[in-house]
Amino acid sequence: MMTSQTHDFAADAGARVRVEALAPVARFSLRVRQQGRAALGRALGLDLPERVGEVARAGERAVLCLGPDEWLIHAPEAETDAIAAAGAEVYAEAPHALVELSDREVSFAITGPAAAELLSIGCPRDLGRLAPGRAVRTVFDSAQVVLWRDGAEAFRVDVWRSFAPHVGALLDAGRAEIAAGL
Amino acid sequence: MSRFRLPGKGRVNHAETVRFSFDGKAYEGLRGDTVASALLAHGIHLMGRSFKYHRPRGPVTADSAEPNALIGTSRGPGRFEPNTRATVQELRQGLECESQNRLGSLAFDLGAVNDALHPLFPAGFYYKTFMWPRSFWDRLYEPIIRRAAGLGRAPSEVDPDIYASRYLHTDLLVVGAGPSGLMAALVAARAGARVTLVDENPEMGGAILSDPGVGIDGQPAWDWLAQTLEELASLGVRLMTRTTAIGYYHQNMIGLCEKITDHLDTIPDGAPRERMWRVRATRVVLAQGALEKPLVFHGNDRPGVMLAGAAQSYLHRWGVRVGDRAVIVTSHDSAYFTAFDLAEAGTKVVAIIDTREAPPEALRAEARARGIELLAGHTVTGTKGRLRVASVTVNPVEAGRIGDPRMLHCDCLLMSGGWTPSLHLFSHTKASLAWDEQSRTFLPGRMTEECHIAGAGRGLWGYLDALSDGAEAGAAAARALGQEAEAPTPAVAHDRAGTGESHKELPTDRTSSRVRAFIDFQNDVTAKDIRLAVREGMRSIEHVKRYTTNGMATDQGKMSSINGLMIAADAVGKAPPEVGLTTFRPPYTPTTFGAFAGYHKGATFEVTRATPIDGWAEENGAVYEPVSLWRRAWYFPQGGEDMDRAVARECRATREGVGIFDASTLGKIEVAGPDAVEFMNRMYTNPWTKLAPGRCRYGVLLGEDGYIRDDGVIGRLGPDLFHVTTTTGGAARVLNMMEDYLQTEWPDLDVWLTSTTEQWATVALNGPKARKVLEGLVEGADMSAEAMPHMSVAECRVAGFKARLFRLSFTGELGFEINVPARHGRALWEALMQAGQPHGICAYGTETMHVLRAEKGFIIIGQDTDGTVAPEDAGLGWAIGKKKPDFVGKRSLARPDLVAEGRKQLVGLLTEDGHVKLEEGAQIVFDPDQPKPMKMVGHVTSSYHSATLGRSIAMALIEGGRDRMGETVHVPMPDGVVRAKVTSTAFYDPDGDRLKL
Amino acid sequence: MLLIHCPYCDETLPEAEFAYAGEAHIIRPADPSTLTDEEWRDFLFIRSNARGPHYERWRHVHGCARFFNAVRDTVSDRFLLTYKAGEKRPDLASLGVAE
Repeated sequence: MMTSQTHDFAADAGARVRVEALAPVARFSLRVRQQGRAALGRALGLDLPERVGEVARAGERAVLCLGPDEWLIHAPEAETDAIAAAGAEVYAEAPHALVELSDREVSFAITGPAAAELLSIGCPRDLGRLAPGRAVRTVFDSAQVVLWRDGAEAFRVDVWRSFAPHVGALLDAGRAEIAAGL
Repeated sequence: MSRFRLPGKGRVNHAETVRFSFDGKAYEGLRGDTVASALLAHGIHLMGRSFKYHRPRGPVTADSAEPNALIGTSRGPGRFEPNTRATVQELRQGLECESQNRLGSLAFDLGAVNDALHPLFPAGFYYKTFMWPRSFWDRLYEPIIRRAAGLGRAPSEVDPDIYASRYLHTDLLVVGAGPSGLMAALVAARAGARVTLVDENPEMGGAILSDPGVGIDGQPAWDWLAQTLEELASLGVRLMTRTTAIGYYHQNMIGLCEKITDHLDTIPDGAPRERMWRVRATRVVLAQGALEKPLVFHGNDRPGVMLAGAAQSYLHRWGVRVGDRAVIVTSHDSAYFTAFDLAEAGTKVVAIIDTREAPPEALRAEARARGIELLAGHTVTGTKGRLRVASVTVNPVEAGRIGDPRMLHCDCLLMSGGWTPSLHLFSHTKASLAWDEQSRTFLPGRMTEECHIAGAGRGLWGYLDALSDGAEAGAAAARALGQEAEAPTPAVAHDRAGTGESHKELPTDRTSSRVRAFIDFQNDVTAKDIRLAVREGMRSIEHVKRYTTNGMATDQGKMSSINGLMIAADAVGKAPPEVGLTTFRPPYTPTTFGAFAGYHKGATFEVTRATPIDGWAEENGAVYEPVSLWRRAWYFPQGGEDMDRAVARECRATREGVGIFDASTLGKIEVAGPDAVEFMNRMYTNPWTKLAPGRCRYGVLLGEDGYIRDDGVIGRLGPDLFHVTTTTGGAARVLNMMEDYLQTEWPDLDVWLTSTTEQWATVALNGPKARKVLEGLVEGADMSAEAMPHMSVAECRVAGFKARLFRLSFTGELGFEINVPARHGRALWEALMQAGQPHGICAYGTETMHVLRAEKGFIIIGQDTDGTVAPEDAGLGWAIGKKKPDFVGKRSLARPDLVAEGRKQLVGLLTEDGHVKLEEGAQIVFDPDQPKPMKMVGHVTSSYHSATLGRSIAMALIEGGRDRMGETVHVPMPDGVVRAKVTSTAFYDPDGDRLKL
Repeated sequence: MLLIHCPYCDETLPEAEFAYAGEAHIIRPADPSTLTDEEWRDFLFIRSNARGPHYERWRHVHGCARFFNAVRDTVSDRFLLTYKAGEKRPDLASLGVAE
């Protein structure tokens, strides 16, 4: 699917940063006006956060506020149909757009003490100001990405499928550079 | 031990020898040497030749401002670099260097004939000489100029090195790690700021490295330096050496170029050669110090003539005496310390020539005490020596009169014309400089950025002032960051403060036409050239610069600008600030292309997007073409076919049987919400209200100016849901345009747009056998012609995958487009290939797609349209919803320009000779016999050989084209005029019978 | 590279996330068909081309995706203010700029 390698955890033990291509998840874009937010939240079992960059989680579902009327939902693949159906159920009450994007994007996990350093090869944001638990849409080199900070040393990058090889190649180049220690 | 090296002295490692070669000869230096310090340790000053006159030259500096000692360096294939400054390049084992700009050897340069002919090469020589006769230009002047142009030789192989880049965010960036910069960083870091300190040198310390005799806070300067660096590190300050701040951009963005491997004996695996840092700093302290000015006198460019401060650096940093017998010529106190330090190190200081009549008494006394002759109120009127200075002529100056000459023998002449604050980065910010009449120099004026200037950059001199000012700047920066900070006052012993005077040329008794006093050493610009430029009418310093090339060398005026200005101002008869300085622009020092390119070379040069089916195409020998950022399969040659044959085969197979095509790159936008149909009515020209769910329609999108922007087939999947397709290249643009209208003009509409371009893989199946191939794979949809007529859409399963199945055609044949989730794209493709095998299915690429659509007269946006084509021009008037009250671009369709007669219209063209294929882009005329320049009435937009029709076909935009059906137009080409007949664009199956399967 | 304050995200972010979108406060007429050719031409093509403070639109295209308005000085390339789409055009005096 992509050129980036999935790294064996054991073989990489001690490495300052690891890059892994992650398995597919269910992804949805949700667009709804303020007045429909609560209804959709109830339907999806998620409290849709109000501020850009905030993430809410319920079980294995996570919802990220990307814009004033835009949310990104990640969930286990098995829940794909249930999410679509839940949206359809409240459509009349709360008109919205719930579009499945499970195949539009793929994700990388970047973890380790040098994770933020690796991302700084392509991301112009001050990652020091992205608190663990938050996520933002931004750019990495010339690709638009959604960057999730899961912990101090743990990030995920969602990127459109056709941009993934480029992003993966850059992450590999950066990883080699960090490994060289110079 | 090299004769000029002082045992145990300097900051080099005397225990580690480093071998290198210069012009093929082997030398030894020490770890920590630069090429220049190592050669000087061997007594070698001659390191290069000047650009215009090929005059012998030696290093004039010990730093990055060096104009003379430029060398080529090499470490194997692809790693040759010209114009490297020998004063900056650190030695590494096996370094190979060569001198430049010579014909023959460095010591005997045939190009030096130019020097003897120098009266023939005055300022503005190029403008004056190569103007006439005109016919000489191509055959004589240009070849000569091309041969002479450029310094060094360009590398010819691909650079195998890696280049890196990073973003960095910091509270405070301090540029320059001399006394001011160190103090600024220390004070701010102690206050709690995140600090980054950068210096272009391999080690931090700046002037301190060249002044070990000074004491700071009760310690020898070098001990204080070591302790300070330790404290900075412990405070978490990011310390970056070999890192040059090359440019200062908006809102405190600074570009840094870090050199990583050039000094290493071997390059570690994966290590980049250089790394570009894009730093965003909340505050910036510029502590870049000052540049010493050369003095301008006859013969000031001979090897062995160098800046006094440089000699002092060679002595203390590298333990190298630059000669046995030194003469000092100065207008500033600082050179006295060089004289004293050199005398202590064993060099005979023949004399100090001070252009001032009354140097400070303390310095006079110290010179006396050391037995050094001091000639105050003197000038230098010349030097002698072929490849190295051998003597200096000095004369007393009394009340402007030049007294009798006296010759002093020496092997080095150390000069100081005072110091110029280094304000290059400050100037990048469009900040203003203020002329200080007392110091006769430019100081920082109005600021535009959140920055502080500290130390010598503000014209301060001496360690106490520099350290204190740095501390103040650091404290001010910390306070601006919201920290509490106080600036400590350091204690300084044996300080080396001082003042000086500023000169234009030194006074001389030589006839002015015989004086060759250099200002820009590398470009061989003399004081005389500047005065000539002014006499010939140049008044602005920018004109003087371009006419004389002063300041256009690789040092970008670091050595020459201020002296050039002083002389130009004198010649114009104005004060220097009225003449002005030339503009400093990034980069501060020469920077490699590699550093700017970073990762953007080779496979990561730019994003290359590939579809989910790309792997199949690659395995099946596709030839690719780039389409926006995508790489698309262009055609699939078989058994050594060329493109024409492959395309002809693919076309025939599709028309006669079935062809399969990867259309995944098409843009896709999901338009969803209760107001979706209203939104579609407002965006697209077509009416959408009556389009039933399950049906699709060809949509045309205009700009508000009425010109065609995009097109595509749009399917209605439900009352509130449209699946919009756009052109491959237009996907992002169209979505942006739609969002713009939705967010800012019609925010009341309940409709949302989502890009699904990459959610779906799209496979097009075309040809009379398309349904036969497909129907066995479809579940949940009736594939019959009645249930699924042309221009319909169904949600179903294809090959087991959830699918959106369109019946549409961009070829004129029975056609389907199957969308499945992207991860299944290749599996779908392979299932279709397998199902198609019995029917002779044939994969085709974008070229065949283009030919097939052209045979039908279907347009390609951006090829048959160019941003000035309205729907009517393209024959798409039928797609306009004339009853709709409004849509984007509707009002413009009634603009006077768009309803005028004679607009260019899209028509077909058939050449009289069907074997002749027109050139796309070729211009069209009505009358080939008219005089030139002919009136061009249009151009060819698309042109192909049609295997189906057995002849060439073309489309063209021609003035009033549709009223000229059957007429002959003419296409003048270099090898003759091609005649072609104007026709309809529907070349094949004009009635669309083939769709009715 | 500039830093731009997005009024929707309420964060100051690198220019790489944003796209310029032309002059601001040019409103599409409710019924373009009622405009004369000259009025329509002016709406389409005539722009202020300010030297100094300029009202313009930006889109946080790689962030929250919103279009918003800004006042930027075209001489210094500095943003004086950014504000949400639909908000009133601020006068320059309130920004400390002489009209």
